[in-house]
Amino acid sequence: MESADTVLRLEGITKRFPGVKALDGVSLEFRRGEVHGLVGENGAGKSTLMKILSGVYHADSGRIFLNGAEVTFRGPHEAQEAGISIIFQEFSLIRGFTVAENVFLNREPVRLLGHLDARAARERTRALLDEIGIELDVDRKADELSVVQQQVVEIVKALSVTAPVLIMDEPSAALTDKELRKLFEIIRTLAAKGVTVIYISHMLEEVFEIADRVTVLKDGRVMGTRPVRELTRDELVRMMVGRTIEDYFPPRGGEQGPVLLEVRGLSRRGSLSAISLELHAGEILGVAGMVGSGRNLLARCILGLEPYDGGEIIVKGRGWPPRSFHDAMAAGFGYITDDRKAQGILGPMSIQENVTIASLGSYLSVGFLHRGRENADARRQMELLGIKGTGVGQAVQTLSGGNQQKVLIARWLLRQPDIFVISEPTRGIDVGAKAEIYRIMREVTGAGKAILMISSELPEVIGMSDRILVMRAGSIAGMIDQRAGQASEEQIMSLAVGHEYSIHQGGAP
Amino acid sequence: MKTAANGRTGGRRPWYRRLTEPGVLVWLILAVLIVFCISASPLFIQAENLRNVFLTQPIGLGLASLGQAIVVISGGIDLSIGSVISLLSSLAAGLYRAAPGIHPVLMALVLVALGAAAGSVNGLIVVGLRVPPFMATLATMSLFQGAVLFYAPRTIGGIPASYRFISDGQIAGVPFSIILFVLVIAACLCLMKGNRMGRHIYAVGSDPFVSQISGIPVRRVQFLAYLICGVLIGIAAMFMTARFGGGGPKVGVGYELDSITAVVIGGVSLAGGAGSLLGTFAGVLIIGVFYNIMNLLSVNAYLQIVLKGVVLIIAVSFYAKRRV
Repeated sequence: MESADTVLRLEGITKRFPGVKALDGVSLEFRRGEVHGLVGENGAGKSTLMKILSGVYHADSGRIFLNGAEVTFRGPHEAQEAGISIIFQEFSLIRGFTVAENVFLNREPVRLLGHLDARAARERTRALLDEIGIELDVDRKADELSVVQQQVVEIVKALSVTAPVLIMDEPSAALTDKELRKLFEIIRTLAAKGVTVIYISHMLEEVFEIADRVTVLKDGRVMGTRPVRELTRDELVRMMVGRTIEDYFPPRGGEQGPVLLEVRGLSRRGSLSAISLELHAGEILGVAGMVGSGRNLLARCILGLEPYDGGEIIVKGRGWPPRSFHDAMAAGFGYITDDRKAQGILGPMSIQENVTIASLGSYLSVGFLHRGRENADARRQMELLGIKGTGVGQAVQTLSGGNQQKVLIARWLLRQPDIFVISEPTRGIDVGAKAEIYRIMREVTGAGKAILMISSELPEVIGMSDRILVMRAGSIAGMIDQRAGQASEEQIMSLAVGHEYSIHQGGAP
Repeated sequence: MKTAANGRTGGRRPWYRRLTEPGVLVWLILAVLIVFCISASPLFIQAENLRNVFLTQPIGLGLASLGQAIVVISGGIDLSIGSVISLLSSLAAGLYRAAPGIHPVLMALVLVALGAAAGSVNGLIVVGLRVPPFMATLATMSLFQGAVLFYAPRTIGGIPASYRFISDGQIAGVPFSIILFVLVIAACLCLMKGNRMGRHIYAVGSDPFVSQISGIPVRRVQFLAYLICGVLIGIAAMFMTARFGGGGPKVGVGYELDSITAVVIGGVSLAGGAGSLLGTFAGVLIIGVFYNIMNLLSVNAYLQIVLKGVVLIIAVSFYAKRRV
């Protein structure tokens, strides 16, 4: 069904990544002059959808209609030329360029023969900043700006475009309340001028306040599009998370051992405040929270990868200021990041080399690697964890995501760490392999070790954690002890997005 | 009411802090080097020597280094520069042998066009075939060098006086080569600092992904950088053919590495996206002054090459610290 004022229509958009179906037959329509909220959990497919709309990705199948005519974008410049402008969630500023240069990147005001009109760019940037009431030197370079200032530049950049469709991907993440009000005013003005604003956010309250209609995505499918007026917050949350937890989680471990890791009042200016936690032997502590809530930063501070300003970290009863990751490894930490490809596997190298890389010292004899022992250990790990491949000589990049993850686990198990920090243990892994990773994690804790698990997948957090730490905006929003009873996704979501955020600020119904 | 977006506003760096920026620093290094030269050898300050070091010598390498700088700023590199210059000079000399009556202006235009063609070949291999720039231009370096050796293993002379106006002629007492060079560097400065295309070259070299999502046609910009470089190499070959009065496989020898040296000393980041053309030119002058003082002090020719390596290491390590 297409009404006369439909600007943009999607039909059956499907996008697969290796091991995951990120979007599965998404059909949607956006109207002229509406603010259209797009919500969903992390990994629901929001960002993938927007990247397809803006020409960064290509859909595997499906069609896009702009003003009734089918369009295909071979790249972002074609999407922009067609009139779709976007503020990305990740900052997209050129570090060495000034504020004005960044705002007008690729739309530089020019005079004859492409000669830059730098003054016009600066004046128009200044005018836009004035319009949203923010003071910022237009000649400052992007790499001298704070995160908030960078976000402001992103917004100004999008505002400078007079495109019929404007996509905002989590534009509010770093804004204060007052700046957010300004942003909303601007969005309303734009909508009144006939601009279609697609507003992606996990802050449901913002969606309630600013959006006319809202679409819920879940697991790459559209759960429904509804006028905001007809929705309650509870209904929206249910649309986002309502599902049953699959029963592939192993049973929880029984007894808990002594405290292996204790964090007291860990703080870092602007990003973490007074985080305290305890991690016991034999326990999986899940850390939940939205992107940007400080989940990974917390882990990286504990591991000596990021500096912190205040607080104490106590490992196995000893106060331990982590200076480097090397120290952390020596103290018994193992770490698997959420970016398996870039910060995990050594792609072109073999399974054997990947498994033993963190323990090479133990294979040295008179300065030479004892290949035989190395080979035997790698084979044993491969068998133990059920890594499926042609042999220990296979290049890791040719393995499936699940098997790559097992290689990383094997790498650390070889070092016998006491405390495992795992971020997104099953990201991009198919269901079968997930169950095996979960089984391995339980075996690890069963052997008296502890796991700190950071995860965006709520079923995983609930299914695997003994206790759940929910973070929001750099502090602990709540701690749920699941031994007293299983948490619900709604319970975690509410903590993660925060109740105290008032829905009725600023004149929403 | 205005909300200051967190932290200090305003704030250009004070002038003395700007002295440590690579593009400024390189001129200070040049000044120090000149002071050293004046005190080290009385021959340095003589008019003939100064004219040679600052007006005659730097033009060929200067033109080539401008091309190199633009490619490096765009995130690439060009190792084929020396081979292309040799090939073009040989072709020019060969053309004159075949058709002695050819008009010098036409010949100059032909060389620029051939330079552009060579640059396009590099650009097409990098952008079209997606071969990494280092490998692509290493391959074309071999390709062009082989071509010139195949075509003309020895130097071909016989460039007529009318064409040699490019290197020897004067207009109102000013050497034509200087006028040419000033016009070229002015055009390049306009392109890189004042023009939209130049802005895009910086952006693409700085962050190809951000450029892409900002709608910049990244691959087209990368191709254009090689094309512009090719045009500049064509102009360099045009000048050097006139200066040597002939062409041959050795005309451009060492230019690929000297141009990279000049670019790096001049403060251009090999990672792309940062650096200035004027800094690069200062780098060219530093190399020229360096060779000159070594000759004046009768330093062994092979030892000069060793010292050049040492200077390059010092320069690059210095910038590496600056940049953090």
